Amino acid sequence: MTASLGRSLILLSLLVSTTGTVLGYAAGWKRSTDGLRWARRFAFLFSFLMIGATLVMEYALITHDFSVSYVEHVGSRQVPLWVTMVSLWSSLEGSILFWGCILGVYIAAATWLTRNEHVEYMAYSIGTWLFSGAFFSYLIAAPASPFGTVANPPLDGPGPNPLLQNHVLMAVHPPFLYLGYVGMTIPFGFATAALMRGRLGQAFLRPLRASLLLPWVFLTIAIMLGGWWAYEVLGWGGYWAWDPVENASLLPWLTATAALHSALVMERRGSLKGWTVTLVQSSFLLTILGTFMTRSGVFNSVHSFTQSPIGPTILVFLALVLIGSVTLLALRIDSLESDSRFDGPVSREGVFLVNNLLFVLFTFTVLIGTVFPLVVEAVKGRQMSVGRPYFDSMVVPIGTALLFILGVGPALPWGAATREQAKRALLPPLIGAAIVAALGLAFGVRNPWTIVTLAFGGYAAQVTMKEMWLPVIQRIRRGDAVAGAIVDSQLRRGRRRFGSYLVHAGAVIVIVAIGVSSTMRTQQEVRLRRGESATVNGITLTFTGTEEKSEPHRTSTLAHFDISKNGKQITSLAPRMNSYQMMRDPIGTPDVYTTVKGDIYLSILNIEGDSVGVNVILTPMVGWIWWAVLLMGAGGIIALIPNRAARVIVPQTQESPIGANEVAAQ
Amino acid sequence: MRRTEILIAGAVITAALVWILSAGLGKDPQHIDSPLIGKPAPDFALKQVGTGDTVGLAQFRGKPVVVNFWATWCRPCYEEHPVLVANAEMMKNQVQFVGVVFQDKEEKIQQFLNERGSAYPTLVDVGGKTAIAYGVGGVPETFFLNRDGKVVAKFEGPIDPEALQQNVRKAMAQ
Amino acid sequence: MKIARFIAAFLFATSLLAQEVKVPDAEQFVGRPEGQPVSGAMLDQKTNETAGMLRCPVCQGMSVADSPSEMAVNMKHQVRELIARGYTQDQILRYFERSYGQFVLLKPKFQGVNTLVWILPILALIVGIIAIFSMMGKRAGGQPVDDAPPAEGAEGSDDPYLAEVRKLTGKQS
Repeated sequence: MTASLGRSLILLSLLVSTTGTVLGYAAGWKRSTDGLRWARRFAFLFSFLMIGATLVMEYALITHDFSVSYVEHVGSRQVPLWVTMVSLWSSLEGSILFWGCILGVYIAAATWLTRNEHVEYMAYSIGTWLFSGAFFSYLIAAPASPFGTVANPPLDGPGPNPLLQNHVLMAVHPPFLYLGYVGMTIPFGFATAALMRGRLGQAFLRPLRASLLLPWVFLTIAIMLGGWWAYEVLGWGGYWAWDPVENASLLPWLTATAALHSALVMERRGSLKGWTVTLVQSSFLLTILGTFMTRSGVFNSVHSFTQSPIGPTILVFLALVLIGSVTLLALRIDSLESDSRFDGPVSREGVFLVNNLLFVLFTFTVLIGTVFPLVVEAVKGRQMSVGRPYFDSMVVPIGTALLFILGVGPALPWGAATREQAKRALLPPLIGAAIVAALGLAFGVRNPWTIVTLAFGGYAAQVTMKEMWLPVIQRIRRGDAVAGAIVDSQLRRGRRRFGSYLVHAGAVIVIVAIGVSSTMRTQQEVRLRRGESATVNGITLTFTGTEEKSEPHRTSTLAHFDISKNGKQITSLAPRMNSYQMMRDPIGTPDVYTTVKGDIYLSILNIEGDSVGVNVILTPMVGWIWWAVLLMGAGGIIALIPNRAARVIVPQTQESPIGANEVAAQ
Repeated sequence: MRRTEILIAGAVITAALVWILSAGLGKDPQHIDSPLIGKPAPDFALKQVGTGDTVGLAQFRGKPVVVNFWATWCRPCYEEHPVLVANAEMMKNQVQFVGVVFQDKEEKIQQFLNERGSAYPTLVDVGGKTAIAYGVGGVPETFFLNRDGKVVAKFEGPIDPEALQQNVRKAMAQ
Repeated sequence: MKIARFIAAFLFATSLLAQEVKVPDAEQFVGRPEGQPVSGAMLDQKTNETAGMLRCPVCQGMSVADSPSEMAVNMKHQVRELIARGYTQDQILRYFERSYGQFVLLKPKFQGVNTLVWILPILALIVGIIAIFSMMGKRAGGQPVDDAPPAEGAEGSDDPYLAEVRKLTGKQS
């Protein structure tokens, strides 16, 4: 009953999205206002059906309706309610349905927000979104259907993958990731519409930029949450392993970041339009590639779903979208692109170009490294691996270079800078560089790469801070009230500028923290009997005993440790081993004590009788990464809030006045 | 000019991507090809479960050998055990079977063999060095050695009678 | 016949007794140690370094250094032992490659097709740099940069909001 209701909703949404696609493109082609109105209705209907189907599934999960195939597959009466609820994305079929639901929400929101604007582009945009909607409806309807009917429903099910049950972050990370991934569909629709139209007006930049920034924020946080999860669960004290699925989440983030920057050049100078559109298209394509990587069973990864039949279907979709995008780009790039003019390398534009080069190079390197084993196997029939040592040695220089231009870029003025201007802009931040590098040396940093990172970080921090507070300082100098100047400049009218520099500040901290935490960590394996102590790098741990805990869905063994420094107890930690019914090997859950300086991380290796083997990992600054990424996210959100006042000021370009065409289209 | 450049680049990227990704479809990412095939098998002499004697590969020279890596915690190993025992008894005079257990406890192995029978020596690989030298990636894994002690074939996962017979024939032929 | 079999069995049994436990050793495959024996903290560090270059065969893409699985722990022990005996990282990697193939090397060797994975990003960098210079060159041509028309309001075009602030403050001061 529930299953067939879900199935009907999905079949309807397939019908609605397919019709909506045709309708949208036809309306765009004919420039029909009525057609556009209908396309909008279909978009809302699609969203309604997708959200409805997801609610049906949630209902089935919560009521333990084992006659629904997905519930039979992942449901269990033994697990807590929150686990049951998040089981929606614990396995392949549900996760695709969840994708459809989020796509529905995005499409409805985007259609609603643009209801009175950008008429000339909207029909094509809606058509493109619904095309993606049709593909996912098809996946949910046929090859990955969660709504199968189970003839003889069992009384209880196996429950979701234990890794999902093991940590609360698994309830948070996937939704953020999907919000980031799926959200890339919206700017892709806008970009496709601009290409189909053959023009990209200045006013249309706003929805393009905003629709790119929102999923960017989600993806930024999702990547961090993924790393944090790995750190809290996997027990090796690291947060990033260059695993194919991790790379899959990073790739669209890199191109989206590049696109956000090139969009800025496009806004100020009217150039780089074709390039920005290409980056937006790539971001969407990379999310589809990422979906393929996670779900086709081709890649070997901790995060991937088990082998599934949807690989070929996704591949066909990927190929279609790729061919369509490239053809469209080739046909329309000349009408889109104005003459690119750049005044010289020592200018803000010059740095933006370098920024884009670095981000694209980053993307390319990660992509090559990820798919290369497949290439070798296809060509040579021989297996090989590309892992962390490769990525570290290739990506660290790129990251360092990015940090460098993160400092230099905002310091330089737009347009060609004179030697004098350049000197005035670039010399003072050397003070910041020197201070931070000296601080690092004082704290015992000796690795040359890390010191370079610290110096670049200090440089970038000073520039970022100066730029961030410049309008406030100028207004205070003018005699404005301090509070008023801050609120008005940072949170009201200058929001976008302030938000961007917050993102930069976060990025500086993240890169520095990554540099320090990866080069300065200490790791030691210790074996202790009850009552014994060991000292690692000044930190003394005393094993005080084990404890058994039993919950309905798992049993745990905890090992208790007292942690002290210089004879004073700081805290106690209890890393644990969790055993689930479905798994042979217990899953360890490390325990972490976080301070501003760094983390004390304990992870159980094994427990034999009354002795325990424990991995002690001391990592400085690692906690900074999570908070700094949240700062980046906050900056993104602040920059995203639409600024009505700023709309009045429109940068001048060679283009025709905005709105003229939009009005004409109506 | 630009148009054709983009189209060509797009076509190349699409073709390459589809080709590479589709080549990967349907393959088991856990599978590891053995570079040992055609090479002399790493020699070992290990303690036999139950007797405590040392049994080495060298003493079987002149006979094809089937080396089966397994463990009692491995489910598929339960499945293949009867197949191995039956075939070992059937081909007693032509082929030598050897079981190598790693990451396991001797009592458990003994219990397993008592319950499920045995027809050939089962050896314990303490520390897993033999398994590592054979490039074992998971259990069960079965290696087929010819008369001269060269590795002829490797089979991953629980072996079925057909695959066993076929690989033994290969080992006898070479 | 029976007696012959008995004798054979007896000989077999004695041959067993005569044998010592022997596990395959790196020396057979990669020769004698080429480095100096290592111990203490240096041993820990080198073990982690080398184990970080090896892929754990039973895990999903993790290195031997990072994986908690028993297979990886065994491999790590072996790496440690070999380093303690003076084997170099290169020798140890060769030893593992011999049994697992290049699959086990997380850092691809610079040989054959593998070179591409190292060279392609560098080629991309070069292409990108050329592209940027060609974009710059379009305008600058033969003229020195300073001759370009003075960037009027160059500072002002920085940011609409900042420009506004500057205008306001400029008037006041």
